Amino acid sequence: MTVTPTSPADAGAGVVQPALGSRTRRLLYGSRTLAWLLLLPGLVMVVLFFLAPVVLTAAFSFTNMSTATGVSGGVYQVAPSSISRLKTALPDLADELSQPRYVIDQAGLDALGQTSVPKPLLDELAAKHMGEVFDNRRDAERMIKTLGGRPSTAVVKQISEAFNRSIVNARFSSKTALFEAIDGLGIKATPEQKETIADNTWTGWVWTTGNFERMFASKDALRTMLNTVFYVAMVLIIFNTAYAMFLAIATHYMPDRTSGFFRSLWLLPRITPPVIYVLMWKWVAWDNGFLSMLLAPFGVAPRNWLLDTGTNAWVFVILINGVVGASMGMLVFASALKAIPQSQFWASEVDGASRWQQIVHILLPQLRWPILFITCYQTLSLLASYDYILLATNGGPGGSTEVWSLAAYHTALFNYAGNLDYGYGAAMALVLVIIGITLALLYLRVFNYRALVSRPIIEH
Amino acid sequence: MTFSSKLLRATALASLMLAAAVAGAQARDVNISVWAGGTGPNDTYRVDAIEIAADLLQRQAAIAGDDLKITVTKKVYNGWDDFKPAVTLAAQAGNSPNIIVTGHEDIAPWAQAGLIVPIENYVDLDSWPLSDVYPNLMEIASYGGVVYGIPQDAESRPFFFWKPHMKAIGYSDDDIAALPERVQKGEYTLKNVLEDAKKMQDKGLVQPGYGFYPRASNGPDFWMFYTSMGGTMEENGKLVFDKAAMQRVYQFFADAVSTGVTKKNHIGLPGDQWWHEVSTGQAGIWDAGTWHYARMVNQEGLTDFFGNILFTLAPAGDGGKANTLTHPLVYVLGAGHTDEDAQIAAQLVAIATEPRINALHAIKSSHLGVDQSEGKIPFYAADRWASEATSALLPYANAMPNNADFGKYWDIMWKNLEASWTGTKTPEQAANDAESDLKSTLGDAIVIR
Repeated sequence: MTVTPTSPADAGAGVVQPALGSRTRRLLYGSRTLAWLLLLPGLVMVVLFFLAPVVLTAAFSFTNMSTATGVSGGVYQVAPSSISRLKTALPDLADELSQPRYVIDQAGLDALGQTSVPKPLLDELAAKHMGEVFDNRRDAERMIKTLGGRPSTAVVKQISEAFNRSIVNARFSSKTALFEAIDGLGIKATPEQKETIADNTWTGWVWTTGNFERMFASKDALRTMLNTVFYVAMVLIIFNTAYAMFLAIATHYMPDRTSGFFRSLWLLPRITPPVIYVLMWKWVAWDNGFLSMLLAPFGVAPRNWLLDTGTNAWVFVILINGVVGASMGMLVFASALKAIPQSQFWASEVDGASRWQQIVHILLPQLRWPILFITCYQTLSLLASYDYILLATNGGPGGSTEVWSLAAYHTALFNYAGNLDYGYGAAMALVLVIIGITLALLYLRVFNYRALVSRPIIEH
Repeated sequence: MTFSSKLLRATALASLMLAAAVAGAQARDVNISVWAGGTGPNDTYRVDAIEIAADLLQRQAAIAGDDLKITVTKKVYNGWDDFKPAVTLAAQAGNSPNIIVTGHEDIAPWAQAGLIVPIENYVDLDSWPLSDVYPNLMEIASYGGVVYGIPQDAESRPFFFWKPHMKAIGYSDDDIAALPERVQKGEYTLKNVLEDAKKMQDKGLVQPGYGFYPRASNGPDFWMFYTSMGGTMEENGKLVFDKAAMQRVYQFFADAVSTGVTKKNHIGLPGDQWWHEVSTGQAGIWDAGTWHYARMVNQEGLTDFFGNILFTLAPAGDGGKANTLTHPLVYVLGAGHTDEDAQIAAQLVAIATEPRINALHAIKSSHLGVDQSEGKIPFYAADRWASEATSALLPYANAMPNNADFGKYWDIMWKNLEASWTGTKTPEQAANDAESDLKSTLGDAIVIR
């Protein structure tokens, strides 16, 4: 086999390389390209599942998109809602436009002459009903049904449509089609008036900053935001970091088997399906539940402890989320503690350090990175999570436990009257994304991330 | 002619006839999907009726020499929370079911978005059985003068009173019998409801908070209280927010809580617990749907319904009148299907509306029939609940408006009702917040009084 060296370096090395084109070789053996290749799946994921949703959310948040407007576009339709708007903008034209009319005229007969509608039927129609005007489709169709031979329902509809001389409820896919129809009706409208008609009859979404104006004007939005701050801070501080740290340190000083048992115990809530987990809390809290039964002999009247007051609801919401959330911090902190060389503990014990001094001077300083990670991760996770609250209180009582992400869900994906408010929901979600990114950057700065990821001095 | 040549000719003729028959009767396979929301075990005839209709239509087609084969795919959702996003998202993605059974209030937004098509494009509304449907229900299934849906069922939301408790606080049998009329005339009002509820509690007949035990979750019932207080939901196609009337509604629930006859934490109560309690005399007075009769009698073991329970209209409050609210479900046609499929779907809906088939649903689920002649069917007429409730309630029934913006109005109304009920806001604050929220959300689309 003859191998032609492609570069002086290859020739000098005297290594026999497989016969690959220089391009392919550069691609595969150049470390920079390889790095990009390895990163590619991750980048595709980030673009698909993070950047694209964020960009779309940002775009949607500046629209009035809802079920009624649709997502993909709209049409021009003189429907009841548009007539109501036009009555304010162009009162006279609105009246003319909103008249449904069916006129038996020559144009309609000519059009039907080109179809399969029987000629005798059309002749009868022309002879008996030429020039008649009907206010609505039903009356027109009743007349058509009196014609000889009683046309089928499909033919009746075909005939009535040919004499429809109004644009009420018709759906036009373009402005030009709408304007032609207006001209066809003989309605005199200036180009500006036509534009106003188009604006008011558009059924699709439009760009607007209205969502943010509505959000900033709403007292409920402010309350929801304060609820969110309270919820994230409480669960994060009490359970996800402090209590998780307590569990990690407590189990660190236990024999392996015992610590394993306690850690598994704390993992149970995490691995229980949320619906069942919350249902168990509800059994505890309902007015005929465990807590009420337990307190009954002490003369405490049974009550729904979960929803009795806002304070009650918060206690449960924080407990429900905290007990689930503590396990993650516990695992991360416990494994970080394991990584601290045992020699440091021996040395400190030789120096006569107490447990507390070990915690303060050895453990905590070396847990800075895991604490940053848990704080940052759990803040973002709490900001975005609402599943346990939805299942437990659904934001109640009276919106006391409604947090931002739950409110966004309620807005964008729940509406009793079938009109989901995507635009406002997206605006709420965007606010959450901005808060999340800001907080993440803030944490990195507070915990001095740059120093944490700098090269260790020892390797220099 | 030999025997074999006869046989040959006979075989040739038979083959020819068979070929002609095969060519003539072209088999048509049509798949029709029907999705229904808010459909529990008692309500399955909402979708089963379409299957029955498909069987009838196939037979009808076969007589006419048309080999039509309809496959009906049914999908039911127990509640509304999952159903509405599922339908709208599927429809926006172009996968709308052929037939949707939903609340009439969805017609406006879904029609605007083009998710549904008018059923009047495919059926003759003047022919039986559609001509037999109550005209006011047909009106509720229309939007902008166009008939989009065909009513599937009707109901209304009466007030219920537990008779033994009423007797224990001093009502005679005659007083009880006369109560529905007094309510209707406006002599017995919402204020009396709270007073009687209090008496029941003071006598120890029911636990504190169980005197007035209303619906424990968001629902159309609460608009009934708004009408009781003199509020109007829509006028000339425009939504109306009557601030004073709404504040009176908020005040009524705040009063119910402050007098102790309703629990502050009543909303969010587990449904099963509520059902059990109202069916066993643990509550004094409550509002619920006519269809709740089925649950109380079939699932909760209330054997003597009429001996224990009295029903009336929702009493009047200050400035309003006694009323009830009907929230008919409708069959609507999903957009994006071929004309031929839509035609068949519409025919199935029309057949399913025939009184006999509709009565199966009405009686099984304790809803009210949609056809005027349904009362002539012995099976329906023999049902005491259906016949009594229909005549006592339906003439006084209002419905929520078909307006694309009504959902936003409702959200704001409910959020503030919940807040004043639980004491998070005073009724005045709640009404003010509702007003400012409605202004910034709906702008010109709502008239604020």
